[in-house]
Amino acid sequence: MAQPQRRPDSSSLAEVLDRILDKGVVIDVWARVSVVGIELLTIEARVVVASVDTFLHYAEEIAKIEQATAEGDLEELEELEVEPRPESSPQSATE
Amino acid sequence: MTSNRYVYGIVDGDPVEFETDAVAGADQVYTISHRRLGAVVSDIDTTDPEETDEDAQRHDDVLREIMDERERAIVPMQFGMSFESDRTLKNVLRGARPAFRRAMNDIEGRIELGLKIVREEDADVDDEAIEAAVDDELEPIAAQSVPNDLFSDRLVLNRSYLVDREDREAFDEAVARLEGDEAHDHEDLTFRYTGPFAPYSFVDVEIGAQR
Repeated sequence: MAQPQRRPDSSSLAEVLDRILDKGVVIDVWARVSVVGIELLTIEARVVVASVDTFLHYAEEIAKIEQATAEGDLEELEELEVEPRPESSPQSATE
Repeated sequence: MTSNRYVYGIVDGDPVEFETDAVAGADQVYTISHRRLGAVVSDIDTTDPEETDEDAQRHDDVLREIMDERERAIVPMQFGMSFESDRTLKNVLRGARPAFRRAMNDIEGRIELGLKIVREEDADVDDEAIEAAVDDELEPIAAQSVPNDLFSDRLVLNRSYLVDREDREAFDEAVARLEGDEAHDHEDLTFRYTGPFAPYSFVDVEIGAQR
Protein backbone atom coordinates (compact mmCIF):
# COMPACT_ATOMS: atom_id res chain seq x y z
CA MET A 1 0.00 0.00 0.00
CA ALA A 2 1.25 3.46 -0.84
CA GLN A 3 2.18 5.68 2.09
CA PRO A 4 -0.30 8.46 2.77
CA GLN A 5 1.03 11.77 1.54
CA ARG A 6 0.21 15.35 2.26
CA ARG A 7 0.36 17.70 -0.73
CA PRO A 8 1.47 21.20 0.17
CA ASP A 9 -0.86 24.07 -0.66
CA SER A 10 0.65 26.32 -3.29
CA SER A 11 -2.18 28.82 -3.57
CA SER A 12 -1.75 30.98 -0.47
CA LEU A 13 -1.01 34.60 -1.38
CA ALA A 14 -0.15 35.40 2.24
CA GLU A 15 2.60 32.77 2.20
CA VAL A 16 3.94 34.16 -1.07
CA LEU A 17 3.93 37.73 0.27
CA ASP A 18 5.73 36.65 3.46
CA ARG A 19 8.60 35.50 1.32
CA ILE A 20 8.64 37.76 -1.70
CA LEU A 21 8.52 41.06 0.21
CA ASP A 22 10.91 40.04 2.94
CA LYS A 23 13.36 37.50 1.55
CA GLY A 24 15.37 36.76 -1.58
CA VAL A 25 18.26 38.72 -3.08
CA VAL A 26 18.16 42.47 -2.41
CA ILE A 27 20.00 44.95 -4.62
CA ASP A 28 20.35 48.56 -3.49
CA VAL A 29 18.77 51.12 -5.82
CA TRP A 30 22.18 52.76 -6.43
CA ALA A 31 23.56 49.51 -7.79
CA ARG A 32 20.50 49.20 -10.05
CA VAL A 33 20.69 52.65 -11.62
CA SER A 34 24.35 53.69 -11.62
CA VAL A 35 26.34 52.95 -14.73
CA VAL A 36 29.84 54.21 -14.08
CA GLY A 37 32.26 54.27 -11.20
CA ILE A 38 30.42 52.17 -8.68
CA GLU A 39 32.00 49.54 -6.56
CA LEU A 40 29.67 46.77 -5.46
CA LEU A 41 29.53 45.61 -1.87
CA THR A 42 28.10 42.17 -1.27
CA ILE A 43 26.89 40.92 2.08
CA GLU A 44 26.13 37.24 2.28
CA ALA A 45 24.74 35.39 5.25
CA ARG A 46 25.22 31.77 4.40
CA VAL A 47 21.93 30.17 5.34
CA VAL A 48 22.87 26.83 3.91
CA VAL A 49 25.74 25.22 5.79
CA ALA A 50 28.08 23.34 3.45
CA SER A 51 28.15 20.21 5.54
CA VAL A 52 28.63 19.15 9.13
CA ASP A 53 32.07 17.72 8.28
CA THR A 54 33.29 21.01 6.86
CA PHE A 55 32.00 22.87 9.89
CA LEU A 56 33.62 20.46 12.35
CA HIS A 57 36.92 20.69 10.53
CA TYR A 58 36.73 24.48 10.65
CA ALA A 59 35.80 24.47 14.34
CA GLU A 60 38.75 22.18 15.07
CA GLU A 61 41.22 24.50 13.34
CA ILE A 62 39.90 27.50 15.26
CA ALA A 63 40.17 25.58 18.52
CA LYS A 64 43.85 24.77 17.79
CA ILE A 65 44.70 28.43 17.27
CA GLU A 66 42.79 29.50 20.37
CA GLN A 67 44.51 26.86 22.44
CA ALA A 68 47.96 27.88 21.19
CA THR A 69 47.21 31.52 21.97
CA ALA A 70 45.88 30.73 25.43
CA GLU A 71 48.95 28.69 26.30
CA GLY A 72 51.24 31.48 25.11
CA ASP A 73 52.64 28.96 22.67
CA LEU A 74 53.13 31.57 20.02
CA GLU A 75 56.35 30.23 18.58
CA GLU A 76 54.48 27.41 16.95
CA LEU A 77 52.04 29.82 15.39
CA GLU A 78 54.80 32.06 14.13
CA GLU A 79 56.46 29.11 12.51
CA LEU A 80 53.23 28.35 10.77
CA GLU A 81 52.48 31.80 9.55
CA VAL A 82 55.66 33.86 9.25
CA GLU A 83 58.34 32.85 6.81
CA PRO A 84 61.60 34.78 7.19
CA ARG A 85 62.00 36.81 4.04
CA PRO A 86 65.40 38.18 2.94
CA GLU A 87 64.01 41.55 1.82
CA SER A 88 62.76 42.34 5.32
CA SER A 89 66.17 41.86 6.93
CA PRO A 90 67.81 44.95 8.54
CA GLN A 91 70.63 44.85 6.03
CA SER A 92 68.45 45.32 3.00
CA ALA A 93 66.50 48.00 4.83
CA THR A 94 69.59 50.16 5.28
CA GLU A 95 70.74 49.81 1.73
CA MET B 1 9.79 51.88 -25.55
CA THR B 2 10.89 50.93 -22.05
CA SER B 3 14.47 50.19 -21.20
CA ASN B 4 14.15 49.38 -17.49
CA ARG B 5 14.31 45.70 -16.57
CA TYR B 6 12.40 43.99 -13.79
CA VAL B 7 14.40 41.02 -12.46
CA TYR B 8 12.79 37.82 -11.11
CA GLY B 9 15.90 35.82 -10.37
CA ILE B 10 19.20 34.43 -11.59
CA VAL B 11 19.68 31.25 -13.62
CA ASP B 12 22.77 29.37 -14.69
CA GLY B 13 23.30 28.28 -18.29
CA ASP B 14 20.66 28.27 -21.03
CA PRO B 15 18.52 31.41 -21.24
CA VAL B 16 14.85 31.21 -20.24
CA GLU B 17 12.20 32.74 -22.49
CA PHE B 18 8.41 32.48 -22.50
CA GLU B 19 5.18 34.44 -22.79
CA THR B 20 3.13 35.01 -19.65
CA ASP B 21 1.32 37.67 -17.60
CA ALA B 22 4.43 39.33 -16.20
CA VAL B 23 4.92 42.10 -13.63
CA ALA B 24 3.54 45.58 -14.58
CA GLY B 25 1.61 44.38 -17.61
CA ALA B 26 4.51 42.95 -19.60
CA ASP B 27 3.83 39.74 -21.51
CA GLN B 28 7.31 38.48 -22.29
CA VAL B 29 9.88 37.02 -19.91
CA TYR B 30 13.44 36.64 -21.19
CA THR B 31 17.05 36.43 -20.07
CA ILE B 32 19.93 38.91 -20.02
CA SER B 33 23.20 37.07 -19.60
CA HIS B 34 26.72 37.79 -18.52
CA ARG B 35 28.86 34.73 -19.22
CA ARG B 36 26.94 31.74 -17.80
CA LEU B 37 24.77 33.68 -15.37
CA GLY B 38 21.47 35.03 -16.63
CA ALA B 39 18.97 37.45 -15.10
CA VAL B 40 15.36 36.49 -15.91
CA VAL B 41 13.61 39.80 -16.69
CA SER B 42 10.62 41.53 -18.22
CA ASP B 43 10.37 45.11 -19.50
CA ILE B 44 9.08 47.82 -17.19
CA ASP B 45 9.02 51.64 -17.23
CA THR B 46 10.17 52.39 -13.69
CA THR B 47 13.01 51.50 -11.35
CA ASP B 48 10.64 51.71 -8.39
CA PRO B 49 7.72 49.39 -9.16
CA GLU B 50 4.61 49.64 -7.06
CA GLU B 51 4.06 46.77 -4.67
CA THR B 52 0.68 45.21 -5.46
CA ASP B 53 -0.72 41.79 -4.58
CA GLU B 54 -1.22 41.08 -8.29
CA ASP B 55 2.36 41.84 -9.24
CA ALA B 56 3.77 39.96 -6.24
CA GLN B 57 1.73 36.96 -7.39
CA ARG B 58 3.01 37.37 -10.97
CA HIS B 59 6.60 37.57 -9.74
CA ASP B 60 6.07 34.30 -7.87
CA ASP B 61 4.25 32.70 -10.83
CA VAL B 62 7.23 33.39 -13.10
CA LEU B 63 9.59 31.75 -10.60
CA ARG B 64 7.26 28.75 -10.31
CA GLU B 65 7.05 28.35 -14.07
CA ILE B 66 10.85 28.17 -14.19
CA MET B 67 11.16 25.85 -11.19
CA ASP B 68 8.19 23.53 -11.69
CA GLU B 69 7.57 23.40 -15.44
CA ARG B 70 11.20 23.65 -16.52
CA GLU B 71 12.80 22.14 -13.43
CA ARG B 72 15.48 24.83 -13.46
CA ALA B 73 17.23 26.30 -10.45
CA ILE B 74 16.65 30.02 -9.94
CA VAL B 75 18.06 32.29 -7.24
CA PRO B 76 15.01 34.39 -6.35
CA MET B 77 15.03 38.17 -6.08
CA GLN B 78 12.97 40.09 -3.57
CA PHE B 79 10.03 41.97 -5.11
CA GLY B 80 10.89 45.27 -6.78
CA MET B 81 14.40 44.73 -8.17
CA SER B 82 14.07 46.85 -11.28
CA PHE B 83 17.21 47.99 -13.13
CA GLU B 84 17.85 51.17 -15.10
CA SER B 85 19.23 49.36 -18.14
CA ASP B 86 20.84 46.21 -19.48
CA ARG B 87 24.16 47.84 -18.70
CA THR B 88 23.51 48.36 -14.99
CA LEU B 89 22.12 44.85 -14.78
CA LYS B 90 25.16 43.26 -16.43
CA ASN B 91 27.36 45.34 -14.16
CA VAL B 92 25.76 43.68 -11.11
CA LEU B 93 25.85 40.22 -12.71
CA ARG B 94 29.58 40.70 -13.24
CA GLY B 95 30.36 42.31 -9.89
CA ALA B 96 28.36 39.93 -7.71
CA ARG B 97 29.09 36.78 -9.68
CA PRO B 98 30.76 34.88 -6.80
CA ALA B 99 27.79 35.54 -4.50
CA PHE B 100 25.28 34.43 -7.15
CA ARG B 101 27.39 31.32 -7.83
CA ARG B 102 27.45 30.34 -4.16
CA ALA B 103 23.72 30.93 -3.79
CA MET B 104 23.12 28.82 -6.90
CA ASN B 105 25.18 25.97 -5.46
CA ASP B 106 23.17 26.11 -2.24
CA ILE B 107 19.77 25.84 -3.89
CA GLU B 108 20.33 23.84 -7.07
CA GLY B 109 17.93 20.89 -7.32
CA ARG B 110 16.08 22.02 -4.19
CA ILE B 111 12.73 23.59 -3.33
CA GLU B 112 11.36 25.42 -0.31
CA LEU B 113 8.42 24.07 1.70
CA GLY B 114 6.72 25.74 4.64
CA LEU B 115 5.10 24.26 7.73
CA LYS B 116 3.05 26.13 10.27
CA ILE B 117 1.37 24.39 13.16
CA VAL B 118 -1.42 26.37 14.77
CA ARG B 119 -3.20 25.39 17.97
CA GLU B 120 -6.86 26.00 18.64
CA GLU B 121 -7.61 28.88 20.92
CA ASP B 122 -7.46 27.83 24.60
CA ALA B 123 -6.02 24.45 23.65
CA ASP B 124 -3.38 23.21 26.03
CA VAL B 125 -0.63 21.63 23.99
CA ASP B 126 2.97 20.74 24.71
CA ASP B 127 4.88 22.99 22.30
CA GLU B 128 8.26 21.47 23.05
CA ALA B 129 7.10 17.90 22.49
CA ILE B 130 5.50 18.87 19.19
CA GLU B 131 8.61 20.69 18.05
CA ALA B 132 10.77 17.68 18.96
CA ALA B 133 8.47 15.30 17.06
CA VAL B 134 8.54 17.57 14.00
CA ASP B 135 12.33 17.86 14.13
CA ASP B 136 12.68 14.08 14.38
CA GLU B 137 10.55 13.53 11.28
CA LEU B 138 11.56 16.41 9.04
CA GLU B 139 15.12 17.45 9.83
CA PRO B 140 16.69 14.20 8.58
CA ILE B 141 14.96 14.63 5.20
CA ALA B 142 15.49 18.37 4.73
CA ALA B 143 18.82 19.70 3.49
CA GLN B 144 18.38 22.72 5.74
CA SER B 145 15.68 24.53 7.69
CA VAL B 146 15.16 27.96 9.19
CA PRO B 147 12.71 29.17 11.83
CA ASN B 148 10.23 31.88 10.88
CA ASP B 149 8.60 34.45 13.12
CA LEU B 150 6.02 33.13 15.60
CA PHE B 151 3.82 36.15 14.99
CA SER B 152 0.86 34.73 16.90
CA ASP B 153 0.84 32.98 20.28
CA ARG B 154 -1.28 30.30 18.65
CA LEU B 155 1.62 29.39 16.39
CA VAL B 156 3.34 26.36 17.83
CA LEU B 157 5.81 26.06 14.97
CA ASN B 158 6.69 28.06 11.86
CA ARG B 159 9.59 26.79 9.75
CA SER B 160 10.82 26.80 6.17
CA TYR B 161 12.52 23.71 4.80
CA LEU B 162 14.95 23.38 1.91
CA VAL B 163 14.31 19.97 0.35
CA ASP B 164 15.98 18.11 -2.54
CA ARG B 165 13.51 17.49 -5.35
CA GLU B 166 14.07 13.76 -5.02
CA ASP B 167 13.19 13.85 -1.31
CA ARG B 168 9.95 15.70 -1.84
CA GLU B 169 7.74 12.58 -1.66
CA ALA B 170 9.43 11.39 1.52
CA PHE B 171 8.85 14.85 2.99
CA ASP B 172 5.13 14.77 2.05
CA GLU B 173 4.85 11.38 3.74
CA ALA B 174 6.60 12.59 6.87
CA VAL B 175 4.21 15.56 7.14
CA ALA B 176 1.26 13.17 6.72
CA ARG B 177 2.66 10.98 9.53
CA LEU B 178 3.01 13.98 11.85
CA GLU B 179 -0.49 15.12 11.10
CA GLY B 180 -1.92 11.68 11.76
CA ASP B 181 -0.01 11.24 15.00
CA GLU B 182 -2.61 10.90 17.76
CA ALA B 183 0.00 11.34 20.46
CA HIS B 184 0.07 15.05 19.80
CA ASP B 185 -3.56 15.98 20.31
CA HIS B 186 -3.97 16.53 16.63
CA GLU B 187 -7.57 17.55 17.17
CA ASP B 188 -6.27 20.77 18.68
CA LEU B 189 -3.70 21.42 15.97
CA THR B 190 -3.97 22.66 12.40
CA PHE B 191 -1.13 21.93 10.00
CA ARG B 192 -0.51 24.45 7.25
CA TYR B 193 1.82 22.81 4.78
CA THR B 194 2.68 25.15 1.90
CA GLY B 195 4.81 25.41 -1.21
CA PRO B 196 6.76 24.52 -3.14
CA PHE B 197 8.29 27.97 -3.25
CA ALA B 198 11.44 29.25 -4.87
CA PRO B 199 14.06 29.02 -2.10
CA TYR B 200 13.56 32.60 -0.90
CA SER B 201 14.39 31.79 2.72
CA PHE B 202 17.71 30.19 1.83
CA VAL B 203 19.39 32.95 -0.11
CA ASP B 204 20.43 35.87 2.03
CA VAL B 205 22.37 38.16 -0.29
CA GLU B 206 22.44 41.95 -0.20
CA ILE B 207 24.20 43.90 -2.90
CA GLY B 208 24.94 47.56 -2.40
CA ALA B 209 26.91 50.25 -4.17
CA GLN B 210 29.80 52.05 -2.54
CA ARG B 211 29.05 55.77 -2.75
